Amino acid sequence: MSAAIDSAPAPRVLVIDDEPHIRKFIDISLRSQGYLTLLAATGQEGLSMLAGKGADIVVLDLGLPDRDGEDVLKELRRWSRVPVIVLTVRSDEEGKVALLDAGANDYVTKPFGIEELMARIRAFLRVSGLRSETGPIYDDGNLHIDLSQREVKLQGQVVTLTRKEFALLALLVEQAGRLVPQPQLLKEVWGPTHEEDAHYLRILVGKLRNKLGDDASAPTYIVTEPGVGLRFVGKERI
Amino acid sequence: MLARARDLHRQGVDVLIGIVETHGRGETQAMADGLPHLARKKVEYQGRTLEEMDLDGLLARKPAIALVDELAHRNAPGSRHERRWQDVEELLDAGIDVYTTVNIQHLESLNDVVHQITGIRVSETVPDSVFERLRDIRLVDLPAQELIERLNQGKVYLPEQAMQALQGFFSPSNLTALRELAMQTVAEHVDADLREKQTARGLSGVGIQRHVLIAIDGKGQSEYLVRAGARIAERRGAPWSVVSVDTGHSAEAALHAEDLDRASSQFNSMARSEQQRQMELDKAFALARSLGGETELLRNTDITQGLLDAAAARGARSIVIGRTRERPIARIFNRTLTQQLLQRGARYELTIVSTPQARQKSRGLYDLRGERLAKGEPGLILLATVGAVIAAFIAERFVGLEDLSTVFLVAVLLVASRTRMVAAVITAVLCFVAYDFLFIEPRFTLFISAQRGVATVLLFMTAALIAGRLASRLRMQVISLRAANTHATAMQNMARQLSKAADLGQVISASSSVLQSSLNAQAWLRINGESGPTAVQGELSEKDMVAADWSQQHGQASGRYTDTLTNSAWWFLPIRSDQDTIGVVGLRFPSAMGRLSFEQRRLAESMTEDIGQAALRARLVSELEVARVTGETERLRSALLSSVSHDLRSPLSSMIGAADSLSRYGKDMSSEDRQSLLETISVEGERLDRYIQNLLDMTRLGQQGLTLSRDWIGVDELIGSASRRLQRYEPTVKVESDIDPEIGLIHVHPALIEQAIFNVMENAAKFSPPGEPISVQARPADGNAVRIDISDRGPGIPEDERRRIFDMFYSMERGDRGKQGTGLGLTIVQGIVGAHMGKVEALPGPQGRGTLIRLTLPMGEQPSEE
Repeated sequence: MSAAIDSAPAPRVLVIDDEPHIRKFIDISLRSQGYLTLLAATGQEGLSMLAGKGADIVVLDLGLPDRDGEDVLKELRRWSRVPVIVLTVRSDEEGKVALLDAGANDYVTKPFGIEELMARIRAFLRVSGLRSETGPIYDDGNLHIDLSQREVKLQGQVVTLTRKEFALLALLVEQAGRLVPQPQLLKEVWGPTHEEDAHYLRILVGKLRNKLGDDASAPTYIVTEPGVGLRFVGKERI
Repeated sequence: MLARARDLHRQGVDVLIGIVETHGRGETQAMADGLPHLARKKVEYQGRTLEEMDLDGLLARKPAIALVDELAHRNAPGSRHERRWQDVEELLDAGIDVYTTVNIQHLESLNDVVHQITGIRVSETVPDSVFERLRDIRLVDLPAQELIERLNQGKVYLPEQAMQALQGFFSPSNLTALRELAMQTVAEHVDADLREKQTARGLSGVGIQRHVLIAIDGKGQSEYLVRAGARIAERRGAPWSVVSVDTGHSAEAALHAEDLDRASSQFNSMARSEQQRQMELDKAFALARSLGGETELLRNTDITQGLLDAAAARGARSIVIGRTRERPIARIFNRTLTQQLLQRGARYELTIVSTPQARQKSRGLYDLRGERLAKGEPGLILLATVGAVIAAFIAERFVGLEDLSTVFLVAVLLVASRTRMVAAVITAVLCFVAYDFLFIEPRFTLFISAQRGVATVLLFMTAALIAGRLASRLRMQVISLRAANTHATAMQNMARQLSKAADLGQVISASSSVLQSSLNAQAWLRINGESGPTAVQGELSEKDMVAADWSQQHGQASGRYTDTLTNSAWWFLPIRSDQDTIGVVGLRFPSAMGRLSFEQRRLAESMTEDIGQAALRARLVSELEVARVTGETERLRSALLSSVSHDLRSPLSSMIGAADSLSRYGKDMSSEDRQSLLETISVEGERLDRYIQNLLDMTRLGQQGLTLSRDWIGVDELIGSASRRLQRYEPTVKVESDIDPEIGLIHVHPALIEQAIFNVMENAAKFSPPGEPISVQARPADGNAVRIDISDRGPGIPEDERRRIFDMFYSMERGDRGKQGTGLGLTIVQGIVGAHMGKVEALPGPQGRGTLIRLTLPMGEQPSEE
């Protein structure tokens, strides 16, 4: 894989982290992949950089010296819809849910591999670029999904999905690589009155995995982020 | 009982015979055969072996239903309880249902009736309160003639005793009367049951308060009155209480009790009879309590008023009193208790119970028998009389003969006001004689001329009597007040001492000392397993401990002055708080003290109540404290966790991220970038290592086993080493050091002190703005010490937080959002420096900028240069 985007101007990533070493390796990696980077050591600096220069995506560390990362996130959300990926040392799901509620689009738990972060960044940049296309198609040779035709094939065989199963799959594939929070899934598939009924989702995702030949203990397509939501991974879209 | 038990046993119910007396009768034995039974316990008493029910065995075996024959049985001395009905109560408390039998003549409240019917005083009685616990009652009834026939056939009693029993107790007329009594009692019980059920179903008509107040005076027949009154109340289904009005006599008698100990002192027949009265009252009160009534000793100089107050306070409708002794004169003046009550308590129903035996004569207005002069009184009488005579001789020159009598009158009043009536009367007589003999014409004869003399005699006598009466009543009031006051003072003292006690140990020591001083008894307490005072602890024998345990377990008094485990020299009272018994108070009164006065009992009980409250409070306080400590430990634990997760993860994140970046995108990077990432990995790896070292140091410092291996080393060397290390990790930071050459060597653990200096410098480097140097300054300090100041020019620390930076994980308590790094560093510095008897302080930096951390270390004696 080489630079993510060839034709369009290079996407700009704003990294806000007080740890110089973390800033450094993210910066080097992003630049090596053809992104432009903006680096900030404090929340205030980051916000003014975003306001002044703009960015296509923000990587925000929660442990900042000057102010609480969550505060920065909330303030940012008042005037910007830029995707934000949060770096956190918290590994409990309540913390993550709180972050998502506060306006983060995704999170990466420290310590993390660079590819994890890159995949997240790519997923957001792609989605924002691909929305306008005729209809997303996923194909990795094994699984073929054509959302506009409502067609799913596994190794060339058509897979029959119920309406709800397809709706769930479509939601995940449309935002491939991104975390889709559980309440959002429940709301869009079952309706706003069922936001709390997590067991509906567990059963449905089990059936869907079954039909796609996916294994919940070692998923290749649909990954469960316990207590937070689901993420369609698969291979990179062609 | 046995027939019913056999039925139940056949149905598979767990029935066990605790004890069944067969009296050798075959028929009974046959009934008992085939039922499981518990072996009897053998008790040695005065060389004889007695067989008793094995209470502990029964409690341990815990059958569903226990059969316990003859409820009224008196246990062998040395058993846990004096009586079998107490054993049964313990069984019931332990959740074991009991089938038992009792003959009608053993019922406490019927004791007098039985006595009247049969002429036999039954001593083995069962209190009526046991009856209240009955779930069901079954009357075993036989016509009298049939019973006597059974007796003759030997089915009821041992054959050889039958004849004797027949002649005495079991006459046909007696048996018929008893049979009627039994039927009546069962009917009343069933009736009460019905009433209760009706009330429960809301069928009222019984809800009105019909309290019955029984007044006793302790002058014979008090117990009879209690029984009679209790029966009246019982029949009406009304609550009842027994009261006695103390006009101050008892307290006065107590004052004389010391004299009584000196035996034959002749003044004290009054005190002795008073004591007898007290004993009777105590017994009557105890009886009332066992029958289920309340008891109270009232204090009032006016008996009638005292009774009326008590009746009003309880909402009583009826007052039961005994028939008072005929006092003709009092009757003329409407002064008898009965008349007074009728007059002043018009709204009460007055029941006057005539008592069968002649009541003891009580002391009245004119009843001077039994009165003797107290010590010192004859002297006072003589002194007053002689004084009056001398005064009269002197006064004679100035005043008339008539006025001289007033001098003697003053003497009489003086004596009356200081003593009791006898003395006043004697003084009156003496003064009159002296006056007559010495002053009234014809002088030096006892002849009185009719006109003056008779009037004077009457005047003297009347004055003496009135003054004496007034004075002695006043005196009793004072004494009575004093007694009440003693109680109040003792309670106040207890409350004051207890309010100071913060924990259980203090509650125990404070209350034991107050109990000791106010009750004049040795006191021992045990609350929630804690006991004291230790000095007293040793004096408790195993027997005493058994009684203490029993009291605590059952929430009832035991030991001396009770009828449970009476062979203990201690009186044990349970301490209650809320519903539970949380401990026990043990009191040992002097062995000469045969009885416990109502006063002492009440005081001990009230004090015990207060102790319970204080113990409860102490427990709440200590629970709060435990919760606080737990909370603190919890906070520290979570701070440690978040510190570990942050401080370990931050360098790890950099290392993993850098390594991962290299492996994935290394080929797309410039060589400088690759080099830079490699450096990150090694620098962060070392940072991680330092952090782990800190954790290990902390663990070592936290444990007590840290030993310093001291050596002589130069301060400059230490600072040099620390700043070299710092430069390795933070190459950009500049260190300016200024070390006074006067400072010699210090005797410390070199590696530890170097670590401490390094930690402070690293901390300073972290907060220093880029380009600003850290300054290190070493100077001699007062008291043969060296002072090392390390300052940065960073943002500084607010004054109120300066102390806290040395707290473990202080910086980490802010969690994810805090500045990275070392919640431990400064804590370790403090630990290390503290171990060297030095100190660490955080101060504002030079010129008010940044922070200055000052380490002060003792230098020790400089070694000679060899």
